[in-house]
Amino acid sequence: MSETIGVPGRRGRSKGRLVQGVEPAAVALRLGSVAALLAAWEWAGRSKASFAIPTFTQTALAGVDLLGSRPFWEALGTSGQSLAMGMAGAVAVGIPLGLLMGTLPTLGRYLRVYFELMIAIPTAAVIPLVILTMGITVRSSALIVFLFSAPFITMNAYAGVRDVNPRLAEMARAFAATPRQFFVKIVVPSSLPMLLVGLRYGLSRAFVGLVVAELLLSPFGVGKLIMNASSMFQYDRLFAAVGLTIMAALALLAALQRLEGRLLHWRRP
Amino acid sequence: MTAAPAAAPEALEIRVEGVSKVFGAVQALEGVSLTIEAGEFVTFIGPSGCGKTTLLKMIAGLIRPDAGRILIGGRPVEGPGHDRSLVFQDHALMPWTSILRNVAFGLELRGVPKAERQAAARRYIAKVKLTGFEQHYPHQLSGGMQQRAGLARALAVNPRILLMDEPFASVDEQTRRLFQDDLLAVWGEERRTVVFVTHSMEEAVYLSDRVFLISPRPGRLVEVLEVPLPRPRADHGVRGDPGFTRLVERVWDTLKKLQ
Amino acid sequence: MSGAAGTGARRGPPGWVSLVPLLVLWEAVGRADVALFIPPLSRVAVTWWKLAGDGTLWKAMSTSLVALVQGFGLALLVGIPLGTAMGRLRAVQYVCDPYVNVLTSAPLSALVPILIALFGVKDTVVMATVFLFAVSVIVVNCMAGVKGVDRSILEMARVFGATPLQFFAKILLPAALPAILVGAHLGAMQAVKGMVVGEMLVSLVGLGERLVYYGNTFLILHLYAVILTVVVLALLAAQLVHLADRALIRWK
Repeated sequence: MSETIGVPGRRGRSKGRLVQGVEPAAVALRLGSVAALLAAWEWAGRSKASFAIPTFTQTALAGVDLLGSRPFWEALGTSGQSLAMGMAGAVAVGIPLGLLMGTLPTLGRYLRVYFELMIAIPTAAVIPLVILTMGITVRSSALIVFLFSAPFITMNAYAGVRDVNPRLAEMARAFAATPRQFFVKIVVPSSLPMLLVGLRYGLSRAFVGLVVAELLLSPFGVGKLIMNASSMFQYDRLFAAVGLTIMAALALLAALQRLEGRLLHWRRP
Repeated sequence: MTAAPAAAPEALEIRVEGVSKVFGAVQALEGVSLTIEAGEFVTFIGPSGCGKTTLLKMIAGLIRPDAGRILIGGRPVEGPGHDRSLVFQDHALMPWTSILRNVAFGLELRGVPKAERQAAARRYIAKVKLTGFEQHYPHQLSGGMQQRAGLARALAVNPRILLMDEPFASVDEQTRRLFQDDLLAVWGEERRTVVFVTHSMEEAVYLSDRVFLISPRPGRLVEVLEVPLPRPRADHGVRGDPGFTRLVERVWDTLKKLQ
Repeated sequence: MSGAAGTGARRGPPGWVSLVPLLVLWEAVGRADVALFIPPLSRVAVTWWKLAGDGTLWKAMSTSLVALVQGFGLALLVGIPLGTAMGRLRAVQYVCDPYVNVLTSAPLSALVPILIALFGVKDTVVMATVFLFAVSVIVVNCMAGVKGVDRSILEMARVFGATPLQFFAKILLPAALPAILVGAHLGAMQAVKGMVVGEMLVSLVGLGERLVYYGNTFLILHLYAVILTVVVLALLAAQLVHLADRALIRWK
């Protein structure tokens, strides 16, 4: 952990040098910023600046209320269902396809254009089309989740295979590895980090798509909760629902990250 | 122990016959012919880009010559095989698994059962003095130790021919000298054929029975130098021997003209 | 069209040529009348032309573009300095890191209803959405770029007595520029996505609104036409940043 190089500052004092012993101060700063934000929020809520902003306490109470209510958990279940279905599909299709693309360079070069396109465009634009075609069902949500996440998962699997250290590849060849041995013992472990990153990123994209879809679809899922609260001007409930949704998403992503850390325990820290 | 050493009964001779190779516009090798006796320790040396590594990889079976052929123990080289082993310049250890499993990798590919291959791996880990580090990951080891692990892996498959591509290039001078002596000690026990590629003239003369000098663009065999210095090299204080210095300067005289 | 990473295989025909079979396939499937929701490309093109002609498209696009440019511009204005600060000052990084992480991974679309509650059903919400979508990517890349500058170069600058301004302008910024531009590129893509999401949820003006409207009124051809417009817009944005990239970095 080397210190940042100081900028030649006024009177020769370096900006930005963080001496070891100052660490506690940084922690205090971080906590302080959170506290400051919460305080600002509370103040904004109490002030008559906008009647739409509930205070932190109001939001927290509404949140607790939601957590105790059945509709919330039902909504979470429905959304979770779409998410699981869509992600399962994306993984089942994306990873093998990406691995295949990496193993067969011509196929990879041809298909990558489509996936790069899918990644570049705003996938949300396709949501009305899906709804129009498939109606408002869990299946359409699942398809939207799939569309949002599959391109990333595929491309990351592809990159993982392509980026196998050529040195390791040469080493395996020198030891006369068969193609199957090469794939299982070198390609798969080597591409695992990229695969997992793709999974994580795909999941975060999936959430984005799911939320947009449900906010538009409305009849079910967490989107319904949010839209209901919004249309009934129950701002504390609205803030709470949004907050809980975001926290659920972050929790799932964090869990995935921990899994990643355990699977890749051999990485240098 | 200064009598002429006998080659191991399984060591193989290498015959390079009129080998040429072109990469794009570069004539990496042109009409190279040489013979390496079974059990000999030889070095390829030459300026950068002289095709010595290419030739080494051809012997390993990783690259095909455009012209000519390479015979090992009388049989032409078709690809990588169980009789040859390669030590890489940058260790090429798999970062995701332990040193033990890395060293056992060659044996694993050949279907050797787990208990047996891990026992063999431990033996060779001991030979390169890495005992105690079996469960470590490559990134936890220093550069020198990683190179030693790479050597153990190459030895563990019991090759008839050991091929080494500048294995000590990234190691500091002091460690390098120790490695050279360690390598000669390990080699001395079993006398396989060794082909060693290096940039260092001292290293080439110190380690080898013969030194092959190769020129760059086009890659040609320019000279073959006999190194009649006594073995074991370490015991005889060869580095201080005026004969040694003369040989090194002979090498330099030739290489100078090639730069 | 360059991929997000920029380089495809250099030999052989350019990448987008592989799209041609897709377009041909689309036309064929459409004509075969396989499904209601796959109209032939030619009919979509005709509808697109009509929409372009009667001004619907331009009106929607101009509103969208305004929100896009404003939001993205703001994201650059905020993101680049913040990312630079985070790259240079450990303390700033430590404090801001959690927020940036949340912004990068959380589904920002969930925030739109809150933005609507705060600002009302207005296009400011769209601008805010664009900003939120783009800023985290810009910050992350900027920070990485600044951190990744070769230590030796920074030390060299100090040894030769560079003033703070010279240090930033002549050493730090040029060295970090490639990464900053990557951030801008990715940020532009995210901005367009934010624009679409925001407009769809606000459903007032812009291309996103048109998407929802045509979806609700079952006007498939119109829907496709707008989707294609959005896609082209996204690709143009990417290309624009790519050109800026080339123009600014000659030493790559």
